[in-house]
Amino acid sequence: MANPLDAERMGGLPHWEPSNVIGEMTLRDLLFSHDYRHIAIKGMLTSIVMLALGGLMAMLFRTELALPDIQFIQARSYMSLMTLHGMLMVFGFAIPLVISIMYYMIPKVLGTERLLWARGAQWSWWMLITAAVLLIISRPDFTWTFYPPMSLRVVGNLAWMGYVAIILVALSEMVAGAVLFRNGWAAKGRFRTMPLMGWAALSEGLLLMLSTPVLGLVGALMLTDWLQLTAVFDTANGGSVMTFMFLFWFYGHPAVYLPLVPAIAILYTLMPRILGKPMWSYWSAVIAFGLLTMLSFVVYPHHFQPAETVAGPIQRATQILTLLIFIPSTMHVFNWIATLWADPIPVSARRSIPFSFIIASIVFLILGGVTGYVNAQIAVDSDFIHNTYWVPAHFHAMFVGFVANMAMAGVYYLYPYFTGRMFNQAMARTHFWMWQIGIFTKVMMMYVLGYAYFPRWVVDYLPLPEWSIPQMLLTGGAYLIGLGFIVFVFNIILSATRGQKAVGDPWPVEHDIAGQTAATPAE
Amino acid sequence: MENALGLSGYQAIMMTVVFALGLLGIAGLLLAVFWPKRWRLKYRMEVGFVVLLLGLAWYADNQSTAIFTQYQSAIRESGTLSAEASTPSGQFDRELRVIAFQWGFAFLTDQNEISRSAAIVKPGEKVLFRIFSNDVIHGFNIPAVGITAEIEPSQEGSAVWIRAPKEPGKYLIQCLNYCGIGHAQMKAWLVVEGAEETPEA
Repeated sequence: MANPLDAERMGGLPHWEPSNVIGEMTLRDLLFSHDYRHIAIKGMLTSIVMLALGGLMAMLFRTELALPDIQFIQARSYMSLMTLHGMLMVFGFAIPLVISIMYYMIPKVLGTERLLWARGAQWSWWMLITAAVLLIISRPDFTWTFYPPMSLRVVGNLAWMGYVAIILVALSEMVAGAVLFRNGWAAKGRFRTMPLMGWAALSEGLLLMLSTPVLGLVGALMLTDWLQLTAVFDTANGGSVMTFMFLFWFYGHPAVYLPLVPAIAILYTLMPRILGKPMWSYWSAVIAFGLLTMLSFVVYPHHFQPAETVAGPIQRATQILTLLIFIPSTMHVFNWIATLWADPIPVSARRSIPFSFIIASIVFLILGGVTGYVNAQIAVDSDFIHNTYWVPAHFHAMFVGFVANMAMAGVYYLYPYFTGRMFNQAMARTHFWMWQIGIFTKVMMMYVLGYAYFPRWVVDYLPLPEWSIPQMLLTGGAYLIGLGFIVFVFNIILSATRGQKAVGDPWPVEHDIAGQTAATPAE
Repeated sequence: MENALGLSGYQAIMMTVVFALGLLGIAGLLLAVFWPKRWRLKYRMEVGFVVLLLGLAWYADNQSTAIFTQYQSAIRESGTLSAEASTPSGQFDRELRVIAFQWGFAFLTDQNEISRSAAIVKPGEKVLFRIFSNDVIHGFNIPAVGITAEIEPSQEGSAVWIRAPKEPGKYLIQCLNYCGIGHAQMKAWLVVEGAEETPEA
């Protein structure tokens, strides 16, 4: 029997009236308005620009890596491209895009009708953009993890800009976390009926507010070390690399969940909306959010566990806790699959583009998540996992396969609400398949390379068939993702003026009762 | 080729578990979307699934810890590490000190003979590598025998041991931690040559 609280937990339906918000925005609105829709659209647009930049960099170094030996990119340029690709994709695309989608959805889904503390969201955006500009100007080549003392020695005169950018990213994300937490907390007193996006806002808010101050501290200490005012991390002057590792990864591991939690929140919002029914289990999702938040802060030493310093009880505890991350992740996936199984899938869902992206994103979450089981194990990690391509395979499955696919589901879903028009279905379908084939090829080839001990961060490699063939295929997969992105951009620009006008509910739930079998009685 | 950690069989089990779980999840998802039959799952099924995962976590933790502890115990028994000198402990057929630097490896024998970019060993030998970095964080990986270490710049260093391949030849040694723009060139070779050591009767 349906729970009487389900209607409230699903959020307001339908969420908005389609309107040309984006067409009616002035430049002033875009830059300074505190209307939640303007702030969210601004965040989405800049995230897509970052995706374009980061993706273009990936195309360049993927072309270089298609063949062994150095073709046209030298080592320093390659590392600059690689570093900027990582930083722009994580800090500029993945995290801000899904948070911006949350900004757009929260006021309606949680019923606040406005984004509480929108001024904070505005500041967060400006700090992030400043950071991105500084990063691009400084062109750091020390990877997104900027391990000292390497990062203190090999970078050029503009390195300070990179460290200032890291401090700004930390501040930007901390403020964004405060905004999300404030909006989730607004449901105080009615948590039992709060839509799951509210729980995600609380989880994401905590993750951001607790982890980013440490990143800011690391950025500040790196800056003072680089200026030779301190030597906290510089081993040549009495500093400690391990202090850096423990501080950086205290942010670095939760950072993995920073795009993941909002993407899960978008899924929990869109799935009931598109299927026209509540999730299979509300409390399973709430518990999974809670467990994921707690575990994310205590597993970070697994990022550097083959180092001698991580040994004994710390190593064992890290292994156990990392293995336990399997539990909340599986609870989410179980919930989604159980929801899909329960009742006939509406024909409207089957033909909707956001639904296709949702299903694909779950496939990739499984594909990336299951390998967490071996990644967690000290013995296996000390063999073929640590710092081989196995690691990027795992996080590209999560970040691109799950987060980027879910972000696309969110953007396509919101599109008629902020343009007043529908996108071109055929082009969206083309984008969908290009991405899925491209991402699948990319992730699988990265796994194959990792299993063959291909090292991360190399511009040049030995001409071994077990390395060069997957590298070639991997580059092909990346090109397909790039082409799909071009189709996506073309579609959203063209459809904003030429698309079919959206009226009423752009996502009505339509059942084809005759062809579908009803579920067996519920528990 | 003998896996340094003795993981071959265990790793096959782990990869099978990963493949099975992935297949189960993806098949369940696709059937839910495309198969017309509907099925309302009971809440206790999720509890059962979580219990199964806890069991898998328990198994993995025990096995991984046992394998790694056994591997490490041989190193612990060989004594403390020092970059300056090395006294053979008798635990291993050969002990080499390795200096990892931007961007290469130097191998020192217990007679202080130095070799740049080549560790020369005999087939099947049990070899201990005591690895030190004098500049930045480096990695030390030998794909042929499946072992990786991360070495921070310090006096303590890090250690790994391997059973050298029985087939004579050159086997890649590479850095796995980004250590500057020469990282891709930071390679060396495990050179296996000569006759296999036969244990004394």
